[in-house]
Amino acid sequence: MSHESNSPIERGALSPCWSCKGPVIQRALFCSTCAAVQGPGVVDHFTRLGMSRSFDVDMVTLDHNYFDLQRRLHPDRFSGRTARERALSQSQAVAVNDAYETLKDPLKRAAYMLSLEGRKVDIHGTATIDDPELLMEAMEMREALADAETRAAIDKVAARAEAQVLTCQCALSTAFGHRDLDRAGALTTRLKYLGKLAEEARARKSRLIRPVA
Amino acid sequence: MAYSEKVIDHYEHPRNVGSFGKEDGAVGTGLVGAPACGDVMKLQIKVSPDGIIEDAKFKTFGCGSAIASSSLVTEWVKGKTLDEAAAIKNTEIAQHLALPPVKIHCSVLAEDAIKAAIADYRKKTRADDEAAE
Repeated sequence: MSHESNSPIERGALSPCWSCKGPVIQRALFCSTCAAVQGPGVVDHFTRLGMSRSFDVDMVTLDHNYFDLQRRLHPDRFSGRTARERALSQSQAVAVNDAYETLKDPLKRAAYMLSLEGRKVDIHGTATIDDPELLMEAMEMREALADAETRAAIDKVAARAEAQVLTCQCALSTAFGHRDLDRAGALTTRLKYLGKLAEEARARKSRLIRPVA
Repeated sequence: MAYSEKVIDHYEHPRNVGSFGKEDGAVGTGLVGAPACGDVMKLQIKVSPDGIIEDAKFKTFGCGSAIASSSLVTEWVKGKTLDEAAAIKNTEIAQHLALPPVKIHCSVLAEDAIKAAIADYRKKTRADDEAAE
């Protein structure tokens, strides 16, 4: 982090418009002076989508803000503009998409929030974990799934997994609410495992319906 | 991504799948996971009184490379002393199975699993020794 992070105007930091040099706040899509589209800038995903930084994301508001931004950034609106404006609107659209993909998914959102706090949660990395409680649960549920021979039996495992996903998300909300980042980290890993289990259950069910030769 | 023939062989004919009773004093259990893939790997060793690994079993829920890595390790550790087994490196596993770079972490998982099983066995026997004194 640079010294700039201590700046009192961090969130609404101003930068000059590339076109008219007028002041533009960092998350703005367009310059308020000359209306030129701006580059995506460096803002967090919550700010970019006009959401407050919380694990409890209101999906209706998130969708609304996202589609509004995408509408304003639609390539058709820039067809008569300069190459630079077309390029900037495109990179804005990419940044908005990226933010939306991260925030709409509870697992990605949790991992992202931890990364904003300087915690590293490896949902893509390669570190080995040895949390016995989590792994015993994962092993036990994967065994139950492997033993499930009928659709009904698989549904039962899948329903249990989905219920635990919801419980885990509620616990994550509480942990983030209390800023208990250690617990939030452990729950994020658990959510990853539960998601994998639900995915495997779906795959097993589809194999049952259409047996692989 | 194409798997090597050795990976496919271990994946289709995994060696030593199963479990030993965890409470057995001669058994060491290693349980590790790779959160990136949601993999979970259990590797168990059965150790003779003179410190030789007599038998090994594994149960892995994960990709083909993770299954092949743990299957291979159970084959390798049989007949080895604990120190010899603990010296197995993930690079040897990866090399033997010709794992592609994106799957190297599966061999790391298998190395961590055997180390965890050995540590569990040593912890158990130490506790027994202390209880005997």
